Amino acid sequence: MTEAAPIKQIRRVLITGASGFIGGRLCEVMALTGTYTPRAFVHSTATAARITRFPIEFTIGDLRDGASVDRAVEGCDAIVHLARGEGSVMRAGLENLLQAAVRRKISRFVHISTVAVYGNLPPPESVSEDAPIRHCDNLYGREKLGQEKRVLKHARTRGLPVVILRPPNVWGPYSHFSLEMVQKIRKGTLALVSNGSNPCNLVHVDNLVEAIILSLWKPEAVNQVFFVTDNPVITWKQCLEDQAALVKNSLPHVAEADLLVPPPERVWRESFKATPRVLVSGELRQQLRRIPLIRIVEEKLYAGFQSLSASTQQSLRSRLTGGSVPVVTRAASAARFVRDGLHFTQLRSVAHSSEKARRMLGYTAPVRYEEGMALLEAWLHYARQLPA
Amino acid sequence: MSDAKSNSSILTAERKTGSPASPIRIAIVGCGSITEGAHLPAVLASPEVQLVGLVDTSENRLRSLKEKFGPQIPGFRDYKELFDKVDAVVLALPNFLHASVGTEFLKRGIPVLCEKPLSVRKAESVQLCEAAKSGGVVLAVGFVTRFFPSTLLTRHLLETGFLGQLHSFDYEFGTAGGWETASGYNLSRETSAGGVLAISGSHFLDRMLFLFGDVDVVRFLDDSRGGLEANCIAELLATGSGRRLPGTVTLSKTHRLDNRLRIVGEKGVIIVAEGQTLSVTYFPSGSDLRQEIFMSSSVPGAPEQDYFRLQLEDFVRAIREGTSPGVTGEQGLKSAALMEECYAKAERLDEPWCDATIHYFPRALPAQ
Repeated sequence: MTEAAPIKQIRRVLITGASGFIGGRLCEVMALTGTYTPRAFVHSTATAARITRFPIEFTIGDLRDGASVDRAVEGCDAIVHLARGEGSVMRAGLENLLQAAVRRKISRFVHISTVAVYGNLPPPESVSEDAPIRHCDNLYGREKLGQEKRVLKHARTRGLPVVILRPPNVWGPYSHFSLEMVQKIRKGTLALVSNGSNPCNLVHVDNLVEAIILSLWKPEAVNQVFFVTDNPVITWKQCLEDQAALVKNSLPHVAEADLLVPPPERVWRESFKATPRVLVSGELRQQLRRIPLIRIVEEKLYAGFQSLSASTQQSLRSRLTGGSVPVVTRAASAARFVRDGLHFTQLRSVAHSSEKARRMLGYTAPVRYEEGMALLEAWLHYARQLPA
Repeated sequence: MSDAKSNSSILTAERKTGSPASPIRIAIVGCGSITEGAHLPAVLASPEVQLVGLVDTSENRLRSLKEKFGPQIPGFRDYKELFDKVDAVVLALPNFLHASVGTEFLKRGIPVLCEKPLSVRKAESVQLCEAAKSGGVVLAVGFVTRFFPSTLLTRHLLETGFLGQLHSFDYEFGTAGGWETASGYNLSRETSAGGVLAISGSHFLDRMLFLFGDVDVVRFLDDSRGGLEANCIAELLATGSGRRLPGTVTLSKTHRLDNRLRIVGEKGVIIVAEGQTLSVTYFPSGSDLRQEIFMSSSVPGAPEQDYFRLQLEDFVRAIREGTSPGVTGEQGLKSAALMEECYAKAERLDEPWCDATIHYFPRALPAQ
């Protein structure tokens, strides 16, 4: 495997997804601190206004176009890959970038992944990034997991020096996550699940940028995977109540059990299974009997059912109801929260630790929660998300 | 210039004899997004002009537009090939090329409809205006919002004292993102020459001068860090008609603002929302009423006109009749001078979310 290039050689850094929220802040920090020269790879010129404030270098292209990727990589010493997109961008785009990185002898390839590679409900052992990933039931996480495998394959087979960072929800000014919370709390569509006692895995964008910068030059980082999180970890209760205080709105509460519905891919199957159970339930039949016509039909069917043998009745009942599984009804007040991912993510009980990043990279997570919140509040006012 | 005079005289003569004027031969120089979305459709729709060519240094852009609008349209890589082929041009190049290329056409007597802004530099605008004036050639500036009925209506209401004594005005326009440009000229100061003030704000600066007369820049704040400003706030003082009217202009390319002009007077408030082209909204003082005001010639609910075509045909009329276009070079010069004054007075907007944590990063960087 190729050794990482000496630190002094890393100067120009290609940043994919540079016009995004994290890429934008990374460009800002690089431009303001001056040690690295960012080359911003942008797919659209329409959304790059934030980084055009700085006299930095731009390259316009599409990751799916190998030629434009190669032009973008030429002359760079390192790459930070933040771009997202549809499947072809995530797969063919990444492959183009990795191939160009190998061809151009890139000294460091920092790939931004996600804690979602562990799925919607990560196992307890995923406190550490060394925990094996057995199953990922999160679509985005599965795509990112595929990306991680692709990146590590290039490290293994082509000698590309890579670093993989796995942040949780990234918050701060310009954060979609922060904006989403504020907007939903204002509308009353975001609730606190089970009193918000689970850990809220967050990383402030500046803390993630610190980890990216360290990953660009620390020799220990090569071919490692790191969680990057804030420290200390706060609860969802604190997170959401603090956001609610910003918008001066109350926060509804919902019980964990009320959110337990099947994932989207199982909705049809579960519905087909549940419908006979509801139809033969005593509660429904009691209501339907108030309609005279239905009462006559139902009495005839019931009489026919009673004429069957006891074992046949039991067998039929079992097939219709699916055995002894009770029909779960959900509190009507919780229905409007069920489809929102921000409620399911509150069910995650694991606090991912960035201890490895601290130990190997010297990651400090310098922006504390209170400082980050004060800056977020100032930006929300500026961006007209809160009244002046 | 003799060529210019002969061109103009032919066109004017046709008009004077009453015979139907033949379409004037026009080319569009610069094939970016504004040409694709506005100028080219307007040119193709108007019987007043005949398209004789598109110009762009990018073969891909030429091919793309020809595929979309017609393979028979002649394409040129060099605008100089057009000097003897056109009666007029629409100049839709990146801002930094307006002065040099526009002057070349004007000096050859070829009228120019220059996409806004004329320039963000007063000296470049002067150069263009002098080239037009010395040759007696029409120079029009593409501030298309001037052709909105709501702009003319607002000016009419102000001139007739509809609001009584004016107290203040403020204008806001902000979107999360801006134009998708074909060339990427809007990514750097070298090619764009200005940020949100020049790109989004220049339309209003022109309208403001049209509505209120001369304007002084009291203070200008922006968020440029050596590049292009994405946000800015201009505090202004309109001094036209012997009054001193304070105003504010707030612009953003990072987030949405209220996107309207508000004029406050003693009798009430007028609001003109961005994109409100046909009417203005009036809120009388001390009343809960809200009134939509239209020009008597307007039909509420009527379909929008193609304002780029109106602008183009106004340009053609000015060429044929020897009159002033709707927006003259001199008016473009005034707004350019105002932008230059803003940039000269620029102070940095306070952005604690950008600066307050920067001191943490040096310790994460490798030792130099």
